[in-house]
Amino acid sequence: MVKKKNPLKSFGFFLLILSIVAFSIFPFVQMLSLSLKYQWDWGNPSLIPRKINLEAYKELLNIGQDLKNVPESVLTLLDETPELTSLQRAAILSKYQSTGEVFPFLRYFGNSLLLSLSAALLSVCLAIFGAYSFSRLRYRGRSVIQRGVLFVYMFGGILLLIPLYRLFASMGLLSTPTGTFVGLLVVYMVQTLPVSLYMLGNYFRTVPFSLEEAAMLEGASRMGIIMKIIIPLSASAIATVYIYSFMIAWNEYLFASVFLKNYKMLYTLPIGLKTLFVSKNAIWDRIMSASMLTAVPVMALFMSIQNKITGGMAAGGVKE
Amino acid sequence: MRELKIRKPTLPHDPPPIALAGMNARALREQRFGWALVSPSVFIILALILYPVVYNIYLSFFEFKLTGDNIFVGLRNYVGVITDSEFHLAIRSTLVYVFFSTVGTTLLGLGVALVMNKKFPLRGFVRSLILLPYVAPVISVVFSWQFIFDPVNGIFMDVFHNKLGLFAERFSLIGSPDTAIWVAILFGIWKNFPFTYLMILSRLQAIDETLYEAAEVDGASGWQKFKSITLPEVYFVVSALILLRVIWNFNKFEEVYLLTSNVKVLSVYTYLKAFTGTMDLGQGSTLAVLQFVILIGFILFYVKKVLKW
Repeated sequence: MVKKKNPLKSFGFFLLILSIVAFSIFPFVQMLSLSLKYQWDWGNPSLIPRKINLEAYKELLNIGQDLKNVPESVLTLLDETPELTSLQRAAILSKYQSTGEVFPFLRYFGNSLLLSLSAALLSVCLAIFGAYSFSRLRYRGRSVIQRGVLFVYMFGGILLLIPLYRLFASMGLLSTPTGTFVGLLVVYMVQTLPVSLYMLGNYFRTVPFSLEEAAMLEGASRMGIIMKIIIPLSASAIATVYIYSFMIAWNEYLFASVFLKNYKMLYTLPIGLKTLFVSKNAIWDRIMSASMLTAVPVMALFMSIQNKITGGMAAGGVKE
Repeated sequence: MRELKIRKPTLPHDPPPIALAGMNARALREQRFGWALVSPSVFIILALILYPVVYNIYLSFFEFKLTGDNIFVGLRNYVGVITDSEFHLAIRSTLVYVFFSTVGTTLLGLGVALVMNKKFPLRGFVRSLILLPYVAPVISVVFSWQFIFDPVNGIFMDVFHNKLGLFAERFSLIGSPDTAIWVAILFGIWKNFPFTYLMILSRLQAIDETLYEAAEVDGASGWQKFKSITLPEVYFVVSALILLRVIWNFNKFEEVYLLTSNVKVLSVYTYLKAFTGTMDLGQGSTLAVLQFVILIGFILFYVKKVLKW
């Protein structure tokens, strides 16, 4: 390459990169900044809070909430109205003391975590065997299965939502909380299964067949090969697919909003956040800190395996 | 059939053909084992994806009563949907949304890929930073976007009304459907360009450097190099990515609905029709069928005309 360092050009290039980065991360910076601002600071366009406000985080994570004072006006109101029964008093006070009623973040977080972890686990377990089967073994119908998996990519959630809702409702699954939870789990597993199958299938084809042959000569069964050779050798790919499936389930809103409509206890984070936003308890700092806490686990997971997942996406995401 | 398969040249990563002697017993065992391993996945996909799609078509010919009875109405749902002017609006919004978000995502993704293919300090860090929009859950970023366009406190109005004076007064861009669709498009571009960029970048890195060196010896300009080397090399990836993006954006629900329920693209319109108000599941499933038919039509056209398969 010919060396031609034009300072104006490199400055332009620097600006270009800066603007790409700014465009990508500005909403995150805005989110972080607003979650730390006091209400009187919202109108200030500067991203740096004049005074750091950690109340919203403490409230969501339930730190030090028992010590929080009930507003003075409410206390005086209680003093001035002696006709209230003690039960009513307790009810009024509890409104201010437990913010868990306003937005039980930890419960929603737990629901989301349980659903996503188990849906991804089920999907990956099924996909390991399925993908091994159509990437390694020869039988009639194998190419149909391989292509069918790709075809399923084209179905949007809305196409499956109405029939699955009808099916599950007529089976009586949606009339109990446990049934609803299981139904949603199954839906998430199904939604991530095709992607898992496809990505794992692509990876298994890169594992050298000679290893399997050697094991077979020594008398290993096919099942033994999967357990002792394929799974350990593909550990990183399996982890990647697991996290990918986890993220799909963690982000899902459409099915959760329809299935969980009547079970507030079972809300996942996306539907909980949306409900909070349209309710009268919507305050920017609370919403933004809840957003931060929803995003951070996924982004941290992603960053930890970033190099592998981007490679996996390049291999699995596009058919060339 | 079996014989043909064995004689066909195998790909490097394909299992090598099994020795012919004793093939039958072994092949049979392999066949049975293969089906046993894949059948749970196949069963689940058949039962919970393909069957529901067929059931959805069946549902679109019925009307649902609150009492739980289904009445066969023939094509009445279809006539009802097609003559509805709201449906026409939904089609128009969807086309506008899909077209501009796909073009924007692809162009930005291509541009960023070209930039990130050059060497500069902290490149690895920058590359992972710009993946964040794609990774973050939709629900966690929509509120930040809503705040940016908030009429009272948002930075957008601060810049364009207070600092630049482009607008006479502060207003909510997300509040009216006409402007909200552009915010939704911008949001879609922001959210999805990292995927496009990543795919194009991995193709760019596979281009042979010597092609550019040879072109430079011949005195080619930067634009000429891009046009006659880079573009043909990435043509296939880019057109496959466009196809995927169209499919995904055509079915898009979350990114639009959670940011602004004002923009009634087809998925949002169907959702609102089927699950809010009178809960018209019959027309809802009809809409889902029509949306699928339109998409398949487009895919067939695109694959024939653009990808030329």
